[in-house]
Amino acid sequence: MDPETFRRDLGAWLDDNANELAPPYEGAGSMDEQMAHYSHVKRSLYDAGFGRYGWPESVDGLGGSPLLRAMVGEEINLRGLCDPNPWTMIEVLVPTVIGFARPEVAAALVPPFLRGDEMWCQGFSEPDAGSDLASLSCRAAKTDGGWLVSGQKIWTSFIQYAQRCVLLTRTGEPNSAHRGITALLVDVDSPGITYSPIETMHGRLDFAEVHYDEVFVPTERLIGEENGGWQVAMDILPYERSTTFWHRGALLHRRLSDLVAQLVANGDRSDTAARALGHAFQSLVAFRSRSRDTQHRLADGQQLGVETSIDKILITSAEQQLFGAVRDLLGGVVEFDDDIDAAMWRTDYLYSKAAPIYGGTAEIQRNIVARRLLDLGPES
Amino acid sequence: MSDTVDAEDLALLATGFEAAMAEETRPAETDQALFDLGWAELLSAAPSQGAATAFRALGTTNSAAGLLDDVVANALGIGISPQTCVVFPAPHQAEAPAHPQGDAMVVDGLVSARAEGATTAVLAVEANGDVSINSIDAGLLQGPVAGGVDPGRAYRRLSVEIPADALVPVPTSGSWESAVAAARTALAHQLLGGARWMLAEARQHAVDRAQFGRPVASFQAIRHKLAESLVQIEGAASVAEACLDDPDPLLAALAKSLAGQAAATTATHAQQVLAGIGFTAEHQFHYWLKRMLVVDTLFGSASSLPAEIGHHLLSRGTVPRLIQL
Ligand SMILES: Cc1cc2nc3c(=O)[nH]c(=O)nc-3n(C[C@H](O)[C@H](O)[C@H](O)COP(=O)(O)OP(=O)(O)OC[C@H]3O[C@@H](n4cnc5c(N)ncnc54)[C@H](O)[C@@H]3O)c2cc1C
Repeated sequence: MDPETFRRDLGAWLDDNANELAPPYEGAGSMDEQMAHYSHVKRSLYDAGFGRYGWPESVDGLGGSPLLRAMVGEEINLRGLCDPNPWTMIEVLVPTVIGFARPEVAAALVPPFLRGDEMWCQGFSEPDAGSDLASLSCRAAKTDGGWLVSGQKIWTSFIQYAQRCVLLTRTGEPNSAHRGITALLVDVDSPGITYSPIETMHGRLDFAEVHYDEVFVPTERLIGEENGGWQVAMDILPYERSTTFWHRGALLHRRLSDLVAQLVANGDRSDTAARALGHAFQSLVAFRSRSRDTQHRLADGQQLGVETSIDKILITSAEQQLFGAVRDLLGGVVEFDDDIDAAMWRTDYLYSKAAPIYGGTAEIQRNIVARRLLDLGPES
Repeated sequence: MSDTVDAEDLALLATGFEAAMAEETRPAETDQALFDLGWAELLSAAPSQGAATAFRALGTTNSAAGLLDDVVANALGIGISPQTCVVFPAPHQAEAPAHPQGDAMVVDGLVSARAEGATTAVLAVEANGDVSINSIDAGLLQGPVAGGVDPGRAYRRLSVEIPADALVPVPTSGSWESAVAAARTALAHQLLGGARWMLAEARQHAVDRAQFGRPVASFQAIRHKLAESLVQIEGAASVAEACLDDPDPLLAALAKSLAGQAAATTATHAQQVLAGIGFTAEHQFHYWLKRMLVVDTLFGSASSLPAEIGHHLLSRGTVPRLIQL
């Protein structure tokens, strides 16, 4: 499928179905409303075919370049049809699951996720293992026909809506670091899993603390090799920094347009406003240009790696400049107002504070750039 | 796109240009050497690719060659030669540098080192909102010998009044706006070439210099400064490359602004990493720093461009989607 034809057909289809696809709630909606709408949009795209392009036939996809997936998320975000966050989970987890899980497991489990009938989550972080992910301790002990998982995870986004979790566990000695980690694809309704959602500072139950108490996971749910989980985790990270970032960049583009429209409506054509807009726009364009190069490398079949840390740093600063400008230029809207638009600005402003934290902190990204791209040798 | 030069030829020319620029000759001799190497043919066959190649080399070598004169003249559709110079806008601006006042023409702008030996100068005049392109005898532009911060004297300020009847209108095939865009794109490549040079110097110093019994490159504060520099350079470079496929003037403004910002950030961080030695006249760093300060002001700077870009968005009322998959 030629990308330009695809984009045109997709655009026409989205226009024809605009009402059908628009969120049925005003503003950001509750988490439940958002998730229900996400499923609806995903399902509609899947049924129309657009949601299946860019995925291999082995998981019920229709094949074609990953650029097609980047385009779908871009159009959805430019039109504000669906919050990008739940959407990220597919783009982050599925390519690696296809690459590393047993083919029959991927073939059976991925399609309902792509259809929007299911949600998956990512169980990496632990209370004592954040940036130092390789020190994780949630244990998977060998048992008849599989593993018994015991331990604790934290910040697991969307688990309360999820059917499966890509879980990193310790299978080697406690101090085996990245050599003794195994990735498992776990059913969230397995006996022994309990979770309690944690409220974020932007007022949402985005993530949860999760306890695993002798949770049985069958052998065939192994992702990659036993003790090869680090390789799986490292394979996931570049996906986290490619397609999903392109989608998020489209959201930032729409919100920058919203800000310009608001300033025009306010009659604010000051140099202060212009300068802040210029800075926000140039950061966004730097990110989008870099990310476009990354999308094309992915589409050309190149292996993405540590260089995507640059994309991550660029989108973080684009996001922070944009919502920083929103706060500076909208004169108290973020701080005081409670109408729907203001609530959306406030949510976005507050959520931008998470950008330098999730998916590897700003400091960790700079460590990677220094070590791997500038070849500065070991840190002291 | 008219840009059709194959990658191999381009790489060969780039090597030749760099070698010529690295020679310690006067700017006029460097200009002549570049013309001898085929600069004019390259610019006409592939205006944006060709300019990017040459300006990257200007940044890396810190040569004071007058290639900006050629890029602007070429974009306007005027034949180029080492004896033709262009009057550039005043620092931090992109408006035509001359305007009529009574019988006189008031010129407030910048010229490159080429103006010294040139016979003809190209002068853009703004009157009643229209820009006209003229040629004048370059002898009219002689002024005090260039001073300023840059020991290489690549550009100097020009502030003169000339008789209006000294101007001869020149037929053009490109607009002033397109010439500004071409200049900005080329200068973005120069700034990034310079920034990469500064980063490479600082990186090597960080690896070689030991304090407290270990390389200073092992200290996280140093690592993060260099990492931040690389991130800004790569972000800006990606946009400067995108300009080669898309002549949109807004994209060129963004590229120049981002490149100026990346160069300034890199200069600050590189200076801090080089520390004492980087503050000496003996270390070469200051030549690049000073050239960067000068080049940043040409055709709008990292400090003036964001407001220009923002005003553009406010008057459009929407944000154009510049970068497409
Ligand atoms: C909105 C959101 C959603 C998330 N979703 C998920 C999810 O779905 N699944 C999941 O597994 N995790 C998720 N996370 C967790 C996220 O990955 C971690 O928060 C992140 O890796 C940082 O870990 P930490 O919070 O423990 O901070 P720490 O690692 O404790 O870091 C504290 C501070 O120390 C700095 N620091 C640490 N090490 C170094 C170093 N070597 N050099 C310099 N500075 C250093 C950090 O940069 C940070 O500033 C989410 C987080 C957020 C905010």
